[in-house]
Amino acid sequence: MIKDIFVMGLEAMKSYKIRTFLTLIGVIIGVASVIMVTTAGGSVSSFIAEQWNVFNPTGMVIGTGTGGATPQLSIRSVVFTTNDVEKIQNLPYVKTVAPLGVVPLNKILKRDGFLKWESRPGEIMYASTPALLEILNLNLEEGTMFEEGKNEVVISKNVAEIFGKDKPLHVGDTIYLRRVDSKTLEAKVVGILKESSTANMFNALSTPGIICPTKPYYSSYFGSNVGTILKRVVAYTVLLAEATDTKNVQNAQDQILEYLDSAGSDANQYKDQNSDFVVITQQYILVRIEQVLSVIRTYITAIALISLLIGAIGIANIMFATVTERTREIGTMMAIGAKRRDILQLFLYQSTIIGLLGGLIGCILGASGSWFVVDLLNKNIQNLGGAFSTGTIQLTYVPEWFLIASVVGILIGVAAGVLPARKAAKMDPVVALRYE
Amino acid sequence: MSEYVIDIDSLTKIYQTGKTDFKALNTVTLKIRKGDFVAIMGPSGSGKSTLMNIIGCLDRPTSGSVIIDGENISIVSDNELAEIRGRKIGFIFQKFNLIPTMTALKNIALPMVFLGGTKADRDRRAADLLGKVGLTNWATHRPSELSGGQQQRIAIARALSNNPSIILADEPTGNLDTKTGEQIMELLVALNKEGKTILLVTHAIALKRFANRVINMLDGEVSEES
Repeated sequence: MIKDIFVMGLEAMKSYKIRTFLTLIGVIIGVASVIMVTTAGGSVSSFIAEQWNVFNPTGMVIGTGTGGATPQLSIRSVVFTTNDVEKIQNLPYVKTVAPLGVVPLNKILKRDGFLKWESRPGEIMYASTPALLEILNLNLEEGTMFEEGKNEVVISKNVAEIFGKDKPLHVGDTIYLRRVDSKTLEAKVVGILKESSTANMFNALSTPGIICPTKPYYSSYFGSNVGTILKRVVAYTVLLAEATDTKNVQNAQDQILEYLDSAGSDANQYKDQNSDFVVITQQYILVRIEQVLSVIRTYITAIALISLLIGAIGIANIMFATVTERTREIGTMMAIGAKRRDILQLFLYQSTIIGLLGGLIGCILGASGSWFVVDLLNKNIQNLGGAFSTGTIQLTYVPEWFLIASVVGILIGVAAGVLPARKAAKMDPVVALRYE
Repeated sequence: MSEYVIDIDSLTKIYQTGKTDFKALNTVTLKIRKGDFVAIMGPSGSGKSTLMNIIGCLDRPTSGSVIIDGENISIVSDNELAEIRGRKIGFIFQKFNLIPTMTALKNIALPMVFLGGTKADRDRRAADLLGKVGLTNWATHRPSELSGGQQQRIAIARALSNNPSIILADEPTGNLDTKTGEQIMELLVALNKEGKTILLVTHAIALKRFANRVINMLDGEVSEES
């Protein structure tokens, strides 16, 4: 008999197609959006985590700024000397360390024939040591890394095409770099960087345009010198380092800070009294990113859950309307032998079917919707270019949320149906039969 | 068991409307034998609907005893009352009261659904009853696709589906033209000849001739025409 009443409920819903459909939509949208938000959100955050992870999980940036629980890096003061670099390199938990100096260029020039020059607006050049490649996880597509002290540079593919795609720069070509102090330096291209598929601590560093040795390009650049006029030394704003392994990131960080804060470090002498030494690790950045993402995810999930709630109110609303509209039918059914329980079941099944069906369709729509969203994001990533251009977001479904969303859908169907169904079952058959 | 299929003794029904009580039925005593065709007549407000609702087990008496086919309806639970209603009473309404979303056949089978039984049995019996009211070809039509006379025939078939001993017809011809009304009445007469007890509630004096007993109601009291 339960089955018969279930079928009756189903048939009643079939006869009210538009009404059923509209009620269903409320639940479908709720369930689908919960699934889309959790799936797309999960996929995007694992993509971002992966992007950062590939870079170098042991990596860290050393600079000055404000310390504490949420360290802030400022790149204003030039404090780290070559001596500091050497000292940090010798710390037991530090694998490698490389200074990072910024050399803004006015122009990049190339000889075209004997007297003609071709000129392009310059970009920012980074001065460092060959260790930088390892720390930033960069690879060379062709050629070799520069040697310290020589007029050699390594360039990105973009810079290689700066004079036109039809006449790219090759390994062995010579270019001229005009610094902002108008000094022009000759440089031989010795290597071309492979395009990176990952992001890292400094977005700009994911595809640095030009990397040069500190000598001769950085050492004589103004602004990099600290100390009294008689005793000036070359110094850097930022150092990049990596720990010996992922387990020792914290140890390396502690050792570096201990050294820098000690009286023996040059940086301690040159830094502004009001600022602290700051070491920001890749792991710390990952945690912070995850924090931000999870706040966003929670927020959107809450909105999605609200739409599920609205779906429930929709079911209750429509069931109340249906019960009122079918009052005389309810009276008739009671007159021909329906018990209160039968009437209760009849209406409860209808709302449950809506919840169940809405949950199911919502799951399917949510699954395909998140596929669609991730696909769209992937297409946009291609258009973004830069560090993200070669990455793809992997679609990762979260089975728990499918379960939660469909269970909530069914529960909502039942809960929203209880009051209207009770109203129907409690009717006085005499009154119900007289209802017009 | 009593010789009466409906045995009403000193039945009083009082409705409370606000602060004043309204006595719809005043110590009614009425005994109806199996196979009777009874017409209950009277103006609106005379209490005939109330009497009909109590005989039909839709309502309970305030005092007095009402025994329907051996069951004292004053002392049973709601569920038992519904069961008695389904098993012993067949309702025919003025406005047919078919379920609009169901086909003719499903409407006829509906009372059987509430009593249980297999779907195959129900469908077979519903098809038989459809034949009995002459609408075999209309099995899959919905009420909205049927004429008033056809709908009332379906309603009669539905009233018969649990093989009740009593048929309660409340103005069954009220929404039909005279000719169709006659046909419906003939169908009820035929059922009476098969042994069904029929209670016909009506305003229409013309229908008196179909009944073998006529009960007149006025102000909650009954009097029988001889």
